[in-house]
Amino acid sequence: MNSLHIADTGLFVAMGEPSNSRYKAIRRFARRNDITFVLPERVYEELTADVSDNRSPPVDIAIDEEWAAVAAPLKFSQPIVSRTMDGIQRYIANADDRPADEVEQADPALAALAAQHLSIGEATEVYIYTTDIAAGEGAEVVLASEGYGDSVMFVNGFRLIEDLRSDNS
Amino acid sequence: MSRTSNRADGDIVRDFLSVADLLEEPQLAQVYAYLAREEETTVQEVMDELELAQGTAYSYVNRLVEAGIVEMTNDGQPRRYTAREIDLTVTDADGREYTITPALIDAVGRRETDGDVDTYIDRHGVAGLATALTYAVARERGETTHRLMADDLDISPLAAEIILQALRPVVHEYYEIEVSGASLDAIEDRNAADDA
Repeated sequence: MNSLHIADTGLFVAMGEPSNSRYKAIRRFARRNDITFVLPERVYEELTADVSDNRSPPVDIAIDEEWAAVAAPLKFSQPIVSRTMDGIQRYIANADDRPADEVEQADPALAALAAQHLSIGEATEVYIYTTDIAAGEGAEVVLASEGYGDSVMFVNGFRLIEDLRSDNS
Repeated sequence: MSRTSNRADGDIVRDFLSVADLLEEPQLAQVYAYLAREEETTVQEVMDELELAQGTAYSYVNRLVEAGIVEMTNDGQPRRYTAREIDLTVTDADGREYTITPALIDAVGRRETDGDVDTYIDRHGVAGLATALTYAVARERGETTHRLMADDLDISPLAAEIILQALRPVVHEYYEIEVSGASLDAIEDRNAADDA
């Protein structure tokens, strides 16, 4: 069985600098469970877009250390990928009470990447690590409607870090 | 500037001026926020919690009492203090309306210790921080995402995520938020089973 671990911007912002205990806790977690966090391209771009303007999360260091990687572009030719994108846009629009076409494409990209890997059998279990609860819960709901209800787990990045810290104390 | 309150006009003006002080002075805001979080507190506890010198702590608490937004709750020693509720709607110079609440005052007080809050107020003002706090509450309730906030406010998604994370402790202190997402044990149990 293969598992895929998809990480959103918030997880990397929350872990802070490599010298930080939160960063180290996540790295230990990744290594002991043999996990490589995969970032949708849009997420990687968000994290590295305006390095001069904001403190830049250390995603490149995690990639060098081989416990994070950037995903290949989404295959929109697969019907399930675009269906999932649409489904998540509708879910988030409904939660936020705004039109679906105003919902950004990067939110649905997390679940769409999951759908792509599940549908071609490259993964049998997918974990989505985000600090946007609407994106995480939306992914579980929409992928359940595609028949993958038992294969997707939303992980709240803050809760993970809190659990890891109390685990190590 | 407009304001809403149920109390008499004299009180409103006095409250408004003292609240304006709070937003200008992060340390004073910290003291108010601490008194608002705790039921009843002594100056000693304020000193210990916020690592303030005795003279400074007394001076801040006395100013808050004189301003009428903190009150003494006993006559004995040590004296105990509690914060009065603040809920004041103001309109800033750009016409943006926002409500000053204990949560916002707490958030402003954090600029003393949190560089991300400080940077955000420098760029977007206290009114901007009030808006960000509204998004932070909605985000923790699963009602919006950092990307929608970035779109709405025309800031980068990373800048939105950074201030949402900086404000998250305030949200959890002042609002009822349900735990969401899988636990560490659930992830590791399942991941181990997958690999077997």
